[in-house]
Amino acid sequence: MHEPVLSGVRVLELGGSLPVAFAAKWLAGFGADVVRVDPDSETLTPDEQVYLLAGKRRVSASFAVESLALAADIVIEGDQLGSFLRRVNPAQLRRQKPSIVVVSITPYGQDGPYAANQATNITSFAMGGIMSLTGMPQREPLVTGGSQSQYLGGLNGAGAAVTAYLGSLIHGEGDWVDISIQECQAGMLELYGPGAAVSGVPSMRAGNHVRAQWAIYPCADGFAGVCALERQTPAFFSLLNDPELAEERFRDPLQRPQHDDELQAKCYAWFADHTKQEILDLGAQYKVPFGAVMTPADLLGNATLAERGFFDAVATPGGTAMIPGRPFLGLPWTPGELHSAGQDTEEVMGEWLEALS
Amino acid sequence: MKKLPLDGVRVADLTMMWAGPYATRILAEMGAEVIKIESPRAWDNIRTLIPQPGVEEPWNSSYYFNDYNRDKKSLTLDLAQEAGKATFLKLVKHCDVVIENYRADVLDSLGLGYEVLTTARPDIILVSMAGYGKTGPERAQVGFGPIIEQMSALTSLTGYGDDGVPIKTGLSYGDPVAGMAAVTAAVLALIKRRKTGEGTFIDLAQREVLSTFIGEAFVAASLRGETTAQRGNREARYFAQGVYRCAGDEQWLAVSMRTLGEWRSVAKALDLTEELTDVPKEARLDEVDRRIGAALASMDPQEAMERLAKAGVPAGRVLNTVDIHNDPHLEARGYWVELPHPRMAPWKQPRASWQFKEAQPAMKRHAPLFGEHNREILSGLLGLSDAEIAELERLEVIAGAPVNPGIG
Repeated sequence: MHEPVLSGVRVLELGGSLPVAFAAKWLAGFGADVVRVDPDSETLTPDEQVYLLAGKRRVSASFAVESLALAADIVIEGDQLGSFLRRVNPAQLRRQKPSIVVVSITPYGQDGPYAANQATNITSFAMGGIMSLTGMPQREPLVTGGSQSQYLGGLNGAGAAVTAYLGSLIHGEGDWVDISIQECQAGMLELYGPGAAVSGVPSMRAGNHVRAQWAIYPCADGFAGVCALERQTPAFFSLLNDPELAEERFRDPLQRPQHDDELQAKCYAWFADHTKQEILDLGAQYKVPFGAVMTPADLLGNATLAERGFFDAVATPGGTAMIPGRPFLGLPWTPGELHSAGQDTEEVMGEWLEALS
Repeated sequence: MKKLPLDGVRVADLTMMWAGPYATRILAEMGAEVIKIESPRAWDNIRTLIPQPGVEEPWNSSYYFNDYNRDKKSLTLDLAQEAGKATFLKLVKHCDVVIENYRADVLDSLGLGYEVLTTARPDIILVSMAGYGKTGPERAQVGFGPIIEQMSALTSLTGYGDDGVPIKTGLSYGDPVAGMAAVTAAVLALIKRRKTGEGTFIDLAQREVLSTFIGEAFVAASLRGETTAQRGNREARYFAQGVYRCAGDEQWLAVSMRTLGEWRSVAKALDLTEELTDVPKEARLDEVDRRIGAALASMDPQEAMERLAKAGVPAGRVLNTVDIHNDPHLEARGYWVELPHPRMAPWKQPRASWQFKEAQPAMKRHAPLFGEHNREILSGLLGLSDAEIAELERLEVIAGAPVNPGIG
């Protein structure tokens, strides 16, 4: 068994926000010694704490944060511009320790007119553009489940942190990376972003139906979906088994949009007649991209995820929680234990500050 | 000038559609030389996904393709032909990373699995990013972003909460999330190679990555058997939250009131009745929505957002895909950049989201035309002679245009 990739790498997690906690979680799983400075007032829910804080040492040490930061290889922080509580000065840290990597993950980045604005998951999701595309056309735009804008900021932060760390190993110098959660989303608007930039016409939310063969439908035991490209459309049509689909108006991709309502009606009927599993089995057999709306409970019992060892077990005072573990296979991953707030203060102060001196 | 972190790293990019190209765009932004490989018979569908009737060479004129493939080079190679495979393996010798997002069985079926790649370069890093991974009973499923979202359980959590209907994200959300994870995987493998000299095979399942974005829902399900409810635009951890229609066509503002104090700030800023004591507790959120909704209905969304921001309340416009290109904050940060393109008028493209304040990644070049760098790579990097290149052309292993291009 190889030693974890980030073994021996010290990461300081500052700020207490979800993006910062998620970014540092990936680094902890791949072997870094992650120390979280617990905020005075915890903003993560108890379930988020179980998921995001396992595998980290936790200190309550606001008085020594700058020293801890200097002892770290990577600092991940989330304090906004102008924050009264800002605990480290990234530019100063960079001057003091050229190899250090500082990643700041904030709603709007480190400068610009909104840099000090307060934000939450939904306001960040709104300002990133994805929300305008999400929801039913006849209803208000809809935020997606969980805290997606926060997780996006977190994963961008994790990726940037390891990339800057590699740069530090190769070129001898770290960097200060400014991650704006708004920008993380504004740059991933699929075809809708560049489309609007070119045409000047906004794309609007379309609910579950982009078009008939790119949609979610009620099925016999829940909801299932299809996303067929042009090359997969003949196989999808063959499954629908409707002679009308041989007509030119359905076969021609340029004519088909004018008959989308009719095609949707055929899809509603077909999906209603099939269960999720039947649909998934047909997808694998005929190479049609079918999906089914699964719940977390479904996935906890999923055979593929079990075979691939996806979930980590975390002991909590309320029992054993099963949480998503390694994000991919190929590198050693260490499931972590859950520590309580401030539990490791003395130990970390001893180790990290001693190394510094 | 400070070097970018991936300066000197070369990537053989077999990816198509969005997830993989998004990953390799980031690798390019971080300084890697990315060589995008497409077959004349199986090119990146994104080039031709949007019909462009009457446009000459539509495969070179897609703004969608361009946004996710800039700063890359284009090499055409038909990997189904022996000469294509042999040329590809010659290229792998000069590469640090190979990345692909084919269906799980395709790379092996082509005879180019990890073991084969290591014969060309023993310390090669292969990042495979199939929908469900390379193993397990679902590996044969075909998956695109919206499918991945359904199968990851995220879609089950999204909905208005009053009709039981799960709602998809308004774009192929699974793709860019998997792409970012693939970048992280490639970089971690490069760190490992630097430490140990060894290559790595990364088996990334797009569905699994997206499930990591809803970890707390798995805690609720496994600890307490709870099904996380679809909550519309509300948020249980806060005092109140909603999305409100403003003046103008389809203009909306999201507002969070994390505490009673923030509701009071909203009430003051918008001149609303602050007192809620007469409202039954179960009707409180509806009443907050009603009062804010009434005030914002005739207010400009930008003015409303700025007024609430001044009051210290989180508020954000639901920026549509046009307005986001004119957002004053993004403009002040220089987020939108126009690059010249030989076939299209310039448009606003997003710069790198990872702002390395010292190394300063910058967009350099439009996405490559189909096969634009064939000669540069085949002759310059691999040392093929003119006769050898001509033979690859004759066999249609390489080409300057797709064979039988259609739509999608």
